[in-house]
Amino acid sequence: MAEPLVSIRDLTVSLPQGADRPLAVETVSLDVGRNEIVCIVGESGSGKSVTAHAIMGLLPRGVTATGGQILFGGADLLREAPEALRKRRGRDMAMIFQDPMAALNPVVCIGKQVTEQIRTHRAISEHQALNQAGELLGQMGLKDVAGLLKAYPHQLSGGQRQRVMIAMALSLSPQLLIADEPTTALDVTTQAQILKLIERIQAEREMSVLLITHDFGVVADMADRVAVMRHGHILESGTTSAVLGNPSHSYTRALIAAVPHGESALPPSPGVRPLVEVRGLTKRFRRGGLFSRGAVTTAVDDVSLTLSRGETLGIVGESGSGKSTLARCVIRLLDPDAGEVLLDGADIAHMKAGRLRPLRRRIQMVFQDPFSSLNPRQTVGDIITAGPRIYGEAPKQAHSRAAEMLELVGLNPQVMDRLPHEFSGGQRQRIGLARALMLKPDVLIADEPVSALDVTVQAQVLKLLDDVRMQMNLAMLFITHDMRVAAQVCHRVMVMRHGKVVESGPTRDIFAAPSDDYTKALLAAIPGRRQAI
Amino acid sequence: MMKFARRFFARPTAVFGFAVFVAIVAIALSAPLIFARGPFSIVGMPLLPPGAPGLFAGSDVLGRDMVVGLAYGARISLLVGITSTLCAVGIGILLGATAGYYGGLVDDLLMRFTEFFQIIPSFVLLMVLVAFMQPSLASTVIGIALVTWPQVARVVRGEFLSLRSREFVEAARVLGMRDARIIFTQILPNALPPIVAVSSMMVGSAILTESALAFLGLGDPNLLSWGSMIEGSRSAMWVAWWTTVLPGLSIMVTVLALNFVGDGLNEALNPRRRR
Repeated sequence: MAEPLVSIRDLTVSLPQGADRPLAVETVSLDVGRNEIVCIVGESGSGKSVTAHAIMGLLPRGVTATGGQILFGGADLLREAPEALRKRRGRDMAMIFQDPMAALNPVVCIGKQVTEQIRTHRAISEHQALNQAGELLGQMGLKDVAGLLKAYPHQLSGGQRQRVMIAMALSLSPQLLIADEPTTALDVTTQAQILKLIERIQAEREMSVLLITHDFGVVADMADRVAVMRHGHILESGTTSAVLGNPSHSYTRALIAAVPHGESALPPSPGVRPLVEVRGLTKRFRRGGLFSRGAVTTAVDDVSLTLSRGETLGIVGESGSGKSTLARCVIRLLDPDAGEVLLDGADIAHMKAGRLRPLRRRIQMVFQDPFSSLNPRQTVGDIITAGPRIYGEAPKQAHSRAAEMLELVGLNPQVMDRLPHEFSGGQRQRIGLARALMLKPDVLIADEPVSALDVTVQAQVLKLLDDVRMQMNLAMLFITHDMRVAAQVCHRVMVMRHGKVVESGPTRDIFAAPSDDYTKALLAAIPGRRQAI
Repeated sequence: MMKFARRFFARPTAVFGFAVFVAIVAIALSAPLIFARGPFSIVGMPLLPPGAPGLFAGSDVLGRDMVVGLAYGARISLLVGITSTLCAVGIGILLGATAGYYGGLVDDLLMRFTEFFQIIPSFVLLMVLVAFMQPSLASTVIGIALVTWPQVARVVRGEFLSLRSREFVEAARVLGMRDARIIFTQILPNALPPIVAVSSMMVGSAILTESALAFLGLGDPNLLSWGSMIEGSRSAMWVAWWTTVLPGLSIMVTVLALNFVGDGLNEALNPRRRR
């Protein structure tokens, strides 16, 4: 094999004092050859991002490389002067990030940002630079390049922004592109396009790509070689087919097993009388204030659904599809403009607040963001007994039930005196679930409950939700953007786009034979479908 | 509570601020016991410099003991500063929380009402209010509260606007919690740090405003405050510096101490600092 472009030898990176561990990365060795895509896969805190940033010389303050070498074409980057390293960035190696909105300057137009990069390194006129920038954006598959060069970042979609970022990264034809979770913040169909773009560019330019991801599906689709990281160590590495086909480390096996396969195992539920019936639900949002009449957008457009005890209905859609708005209308966090929400025959969509309040306990919700869904100033005990206390349950009894509930969701009952920030994301979701279940609801709405969690934690929480549904005979409305997750827990799915339902039916049927083009596109965009894992 | 105190006193500036503030409060409270003859009694020649026999801080233009004046002045200045701030914070939280939590039309109406107070130069409004109500301690307190609540309302509204859409607030609504309970038990505790910070600043600025009113002769003529001491001595400013500098320094030290206390409270109230 030819000499690799980048060769990391026994890299050790230390964290500042007071961090949860002394070393972010410990004696990591990894090669990135010319003209290949290497993936580093791992969960949050595994050290995968730190490794990537170390190559770029962009470690945060207090985090320093204390040992080893990073050889780039033979030169050790760790011993290079800051000025020499600065010149390499952009010219020899470039990086794209997870959140393109944060990486772009919001008050400078796109053209200026792209040309600035080019002109920092090359002495050419602004006009020439602008031409080059336009050409690059065209190569990224962007349309209306002239208009785009004058646009500001907020006027672009997430996918467009990431394309612009890639164009900027490629503007000086670097030999190495580092992509740090480049599609995590994007919708699944956009993710597929961006990944395809990176693949195409890599092949055209015969460059090296180091892709950081947490998704084994992405690895399967993209990588020539893969390294699995955990707690700052590389557990195993090798060609993608070898690692995926024959993982040697138990953690790798667990990670691969945790990837939802996108094939539904759940049969459709037996037809019983529905507990919840939604008819013709419509929600519009108006912008503007007291004296102005703003634009009206219809977030949910004439949606109907039914939900029975013991079944899980998945509502799948990309951002802006109206799926969260629908959930918030069903649970009356928002007032719908038209339509009915029947709970056991009673219309709660238009009920007065006073009459609705006693019914509230029957529909509960698990929220998306484990960090904002728990009041940071209340202890776990106060948080999960709040519901019963509202309905007059004696504090002592609520407390003992809370202890049982914590056990049910897999937490130690002794955590009741602790505050939310002492828990991990997965643990917080368990606390949120305990809070909802304390009221013994009939219906549970789960709004993207696992989208902020690592894959292995995701699998555990999904399993817990499913167990609880069976145990308590709950009717569950499961909101997600991830078809794979929907396939795992839902009996039926409803695909939404632009506020409308495009397709609905038993999960198995929809996965086997989608009838709508959009559903087909969603299914095709699932990472890891091309190569079975 | 013990943990809270430990976090608060972990900051040297907070310790300093708290100690100074306690000392000033102690002096203010004990003034009538130590100086039974009152601040208006004449004890000697006017404008005696500090260190003159029996006069640690000298005497003022009328020959009154400066030490006694400063001690009694602290009573009025602190009383005005603290009560007017409490009133302003009360009004501000009520209106700001209502506007921020309900949003929409309620927010529009309450904020236009708030702006009504904000667009008038506040000191001019204050002078008119106090003159209209007759200068007295009560009118000073009410006046200051009426012109300062809008800044609290603004801060509280801003916090509530961002906090009300947090998922834990939605969770409380889903549980069936009443609005008032959500506002006071869920959102308000999270909005406290900026409110505490603003209020500690406001006590300081209320003391300054009272001084300014007293300086213009709009204070209660029967009471001596630090502001009225400066006003009474301004003609002697160039010949007897201590008559104006000492009350001025008292105001400065008090305001500084309160700001330090505010910073300390802010840190200590932050749940992330809890260990």
